[in-house]
Parts: sequence; structure tokens; C-alpha cells
Amino acid sequence: MVRRTCIFFISLFMIAENVAVSQDTVTVPLHVRAGFDISGPVMKLVTKELISYGIAASADINSSIAATAGLRYSSYHSSDVLYDFMSRGLSFTAGTDYNFIKANVSQGRHSAGIGLRYGLSFYREETPKLRYTNEWGTGETSVAAESHTGHFLEITPGVRTELFRGVTIGWNLYMRLLLSAGAGKDLKPVWMPGYGPGTSGMTVGAEYYVSISIPYRKIKVYIKPKVRDTEEEEGEATETGSGTGTGLSGFRNPL
Amino acid sequence: MKRLSVISFIAIMATLVMFLPSCSVQPCYEETNPLLKTVLLASGTGEAAKADSLRVYTYRETDTLRFINLKGASAFSVPLDPASDESEFLITLNGITDTAVIRYSRKPHLVSPECGYTIISELTGLKTTHNIIDTLIIENKSVNLDGQKNLHLFY
Repeated sequence: MVRRTCIFFISLFMIAENVAVSQDTVTVPLHVRAGFDISGPVMKLVTKELISYGIAASADINSSIAATAGLRYSSYHSSDVLYDFMSRGLSFTAGTDYNFIKANVSQGRHSAGIGLRYGLSFYREETPKLRYTNEWGTGETSVAAESHTGHFLEITPGVRTELFRGVTIGWNLYMRLLLSAGAGKDLKPVWMPGYGPGTSGMTVGAEYYVSISIPYRKIKVYIKPKVRDTEEEEGEATETGSGTGTGLSGFRNPL
Repeated sequence: MKRLSVISFIAIMATLVMFLPSCSVQPCYEETNPLLKTVLLASGTGEAAKADSLRVYTYRETDTLRFINLKGASAFSVPLDPASDESEFLITLNGITDTAVIRYSRKPHLVSPECGYTIISELTGLKTTHNIIDTLIIENKSVNLDGQKNLHLFY
């Protein structure tokens, strides 16, 4: 009988513990998102040399990690006294984004985090005219169009939030690190589509995305209880206890 | 909504700050003229030699290009003709003239978006007269912007 009573109480404790855990979970919707970069068309108004249109898609793997992929078409043309240069091509990026905001705060609608992506650029570059000058005089020549494949890494801190139900906006800064322009050391591209100046080992910039967001699944996320609150309460209780002059303090004073 | 406006404003400003500098014309600070560097050496010992006088020039149909006119020179650097696969130089050492013909292949090289392109060369051969020059040999084939020694001239 005693044994059965013990088992009953242990079971109650276990159930009680489960109830406590369920209070520390939140249900978070996971989304798939697809959007386009509006900074490309806006920048076309500022600089006529570059046309750049980007689309991106991402899918939440859990409340803090999302798989992401992007596709960008870029066309660049510059003409000045020294040379004419043109390049155009498609670039692909793929990687993951990490959301620093806790699931109970973000609710699957907000994100502030950082992403790491690998980028691949398939492009064609051409220098129809280049002018050189030295003591022998000035001359002109050209470099025929050639196709190349470049590689780069992209680190993107950024934020995203839900503007309306199903529509999110967000921007991210990017820092791209060139792995290879694929064109040799002499004919690095003045502009590598999807990356930027091929003569520079690192480029920085920003993108501004408007996306549609569709929830595809809901998950329960365990939220760690705030330990600090408990400690604070304990601290307050101790202070209160010492303030009354009872308990241990009563034994210490005579010493 | 107010927070969103602030974030949007910061994003737009950040974008403009990063992109607008690329719209302005940037000056060129880099070296853009590849030079063929030749070191003068004493024939027999191979030690560095200093010429009392040195002139390097070339005749063209319409004019004469004078590249070097120095006293007490132990090395000299001259540009190759970027429009041709060979350059002819007249080298006057201590008043005695020799003719050197340098052959090479050429290819364009992007210095930077600001500085544009230059023509770098790969030496393929040379020939010289031997009035004062004993030997002229290729030490380093690449005539580029690195500034390395290309030829050893023994006299």
C-alpha cells in the first residue's frame, strides 16, 4: 500500500513537471519566404552603369535557423577615357541565416541576425576599348569577350520584420570576400556580377528585400525559464530576512 | 511602426553611404608603366659596374625617343613599345654605342578600375651588337609592375 502511494506521488510530481515545461514552450510558425531586392532598381536611378535585379528565398528550418538561396542578374557597363568595360551574368548564393531573437519574442515574424552564404557568379566580360600611354606614345587595343566563373563568400548581418500579414520587409548589409574571380590575375573583372569590383578582395553594401511569407508548419519551442528572476527573488527574500533581525543574524551578533 | 520607420531610414542611409562613393571619379595612385630593368655588370667578375655615362634612345621614322641620359649609372629602366612585339634600343655606354633588339609577347593587365589597363610583356628573345657590350642575358622574362630586374648587361 505504501509502495503504491509512493508511485502515485512520484507520478504526480512527474505530471506536475510536465505541466511546468508546457508553460515554458511557445508555438512558433515556420515560414517559407520569397522576395526581391528593391535596392537594385533604386540604385539604377543613382548610377546608370549598373543594372542589378535580385530575388531571394528562404525557409525556416527551426525557430532560429533558416536556409536561404538567392539569384541575381547584373549588367555593368562603364565608359571613360581609359577604357570601356562591360560584364553581365547570373550569380547564385546559398547558405543559412541565424536569428538572434528568441522564439517567444520573434514569434516567427521578426528576425535580427547574421547569414553566411557561398556565392557563385557565371559571367561574361569584355573590354571593347582600352587605352594605354607610355613614352612610346598612346595606343588602343581591346580584350575579346570571355566567360568566367567566380566564387565568393558572403556575410550578411540584417533585420527583417513582418509589415503586414504575409508580407515582410528587411535589409541586410553584406560583406563579400572574393575567393576567385576566375579570370586570371591580369584580367580581373572591373565588375564581377553578384560580387562587385573584381580587383578588390572584399566588398560591402546593402540589400533591401520585400518578401511574401507563408507559414508551412508550426513547432513548439522550449523557452528556458528566467533563472535570474528566481535568484533575484531569493536575494530579496534574504535581504528581507536580514532586515528583520531574525534567523542567522541573531546568532552572529553575539560573536 | 515607428521602429520600422527608423530601421528603414537607417537602411536607406546606409545604402546611400555605401554606394554613393562609387559614383564619384576616383584618382589613380598606382604605377601603370611596366619597365624593363637592366643591371650593368663587369664582364669577367660579374660585379656591379657603374658606367661613367649612359644614354639609351631609339630612332623612329619621325623622331628620336630619348629614354636615359645619366652619369654614374649602374642600372636603367626603359619601357617597351606596347604597340609592337619588339623594341630596338641604342645603348651608348661610356661613349660607345651598341644596338639591342628585345622581342616579347604582350597582354593587357588591369591595374585597377581607377587606373585602367596597361600592357605587360613576356620576354621571348634578344639580340645585340658587341661594340662595348659583352653579353646581354635575360634574368627574368616578366616585364610587369613588380619592378624586378629583367636583364643583365655585361661590358
